[in-house]
Amino acid sequence: MYNPINTEQQLLAELAAGNRPAAERVYRQHHPTVVHWIINNGGSESDAEDIYQEAMVILYEKSQSEDFRLTCKIGTYLFAISKHLWYKRLQQMQRQPGYLPENTGSEEGRDWIYEDEIKVHEERESHYSQLNQALNQLGEPCASLLRAFYTQDKSMQQIASEFGYTNPDNAKTQKYKCLTRLRKLFYGVQSK
Amino acid sequence: MSTDNHIWQLAESFLSGSMQEQEVAMLEQRQHADPAFAAAFQECVSLLSSLQNSGKQANFRSMLADISQQETAKQETKTRTIPLRTHYLRTAAVAAGIALVTSFASVAIYRQADHSHKADVVQLGKLHNEVEAIKTNQHQLNQKIDAIKANPPAPGNVSGTGFAVTNNGYIATSYHVAKEADSLYVQVHDGQYYKAYIEAYDEKNDVAILKIEDKNFRFSKTDVPYTFANVKAGLGTRVYTLGFPGDEIVYSEGYISAKNGLRGDSVQYRLELPAAPGQSGAPVMDEDGNVLGIVTSKESASEGTTYAVSSKAMMQLIRSLPKQDVIHLPKANKLNNLSRENQIKKMESYTCVVQVYK
Repeated sequence: MYNPINTEQQLLAELAAGNRPAAERVYRQHHPTVVHWIINNGGSESDAEDIYQEAMVILYEKSQSEDFRLTCKIGTYLFAISKHLWYKRLQQMQRQPGYLPENTGSEEGRDWIYEDEIKVHEERESHYSQLNQALNQLGEPCASLLRAFYTQDKSMQQIASEFGYTNPDNAKTQKYKCLTRLRKLFYGVQSK
Repeated sequence: MSTDNHIWQLAESFLSGSMQEQEVAMLEQRQHADPAFAAAFQECVSLLSSLQNSGKQANFRSMLADISQQETAKQETKTRTIPLRTHYLRTAAVAAGIALVTSFASVAIYRQADHSHKADVVQLGKLHNEVEAIKTNQHQLNQKIDAIKANPPAPGNVSGTGFAVTNNGYIATSYHVAKEADSLYVQVHDGQYYKAYIEAYDEKNDVAILKIEDKNFRFSKTDVPYTFANVKAGLGTRVYTLGFPGDEIVYSEGYISAKNGLRGDSVQYRLELPAAPGQSGAPVMDEDGNVLGIVTSKESASEGTTYAVSSKAMMQLIRSLPKQDVIHLPKANKLNNLSRENQIKKMESYTCVVQVYK
């Protein structure tokens, strides 16, 4: 039989690869605990869903880096991150210091050890949204072409036929042109 | 243009890890030699990886949203299946039966009381939360049927309000709140629960004195800040009260509208003061911070008419206690010079919820 640590590690590896059954399993396993906790702490069901999905995205992003190793169980991690995200949202919503875990005993204070991870996540999110804005400014067909390649995982062959290029190489050249323009927009530099 | 293509191709193969060791080494050399190229190359690499990662993340997010939808759809169909439910249906049926019997029984009791005063047609609604308790009971059962989740400790069947007589845990409340209790819990200002027992009661005047079991318990650092009125206050005296119709303390104000209470009962006051179920046992205060009485019942026919037992009845009850149980009533009134807001702030620490399990 599997060693439980191994299975958690395997599960993470599959999650990192964007494997749906793995994601479903993780989602299902820890959903009730987190949702129950958030509802008990003044959140609505949709708040809970929102926070839980965000926590899973953070776990996914973490699992992307090769040297990533979880020092605790997946459930513990998701729960701690969800709690933290929820405290943060409460803070933003009502600025009520009473809700901060610093005031609610030492055990909960340990949740703050993920502060850095959440900061990293927030920075990444704002980076992505800037990128998205730049893509929008790029106009067509570049925005669609880059999205087809990077988000929808389409091959150059498919893209060539959909966008009406005579062959994949032409589509590739077009893609590089688009990338060059995107780079100018995003970094504001002149390429030589 | 071709240099553009070249740099992107390099960045792509660098990211995908398909480069030969030699190529990587060459690339590093070139970056050392040409800082402008190095900067451009780094930008390309980071842009490409951002594009790839944000694309992956977007895919993951939409997959999550899809899973979430699928799961909620599953849950909805799950609640419609029967096997799990039948077991709980029986429990629910028994509970509902008991609830019915109790409510009929209480109606019968009130009826009897009414018959003994034939001339009187005033219908009284005792201010406790029996109906609410049945509702929450049902709600909990439903929750159990729908999904087996861990429930928080159940609230008492009946809840009322109490207030401190002494700082060390003597509490005044209405007798009808506490009567026939299997166990009594008092929730004080800071949210803590304490077990309590009935020390003394006067059924006729609907007064009870509770005592918190914990000997080290104190309501606050300082002694009870209000005093108890020895004589009845006059018609038109402005009064206010603090009670717990729900989880939160609620303030309401009014005036003494008749010197005697229900059926001319001289121990009671008739008040024009909005009160809700759960406020039975709440203190009736005058503007100087003296306790005039204890909220006991309200007239169901009119909105704001409430009856309170005068504090005299409570004092009599305390005096009737055996010697060793002497309760030292507060002598100094520290509220009389305070504004209403500050009075309430002080009062809050000495007011509590009485949870009764019958």
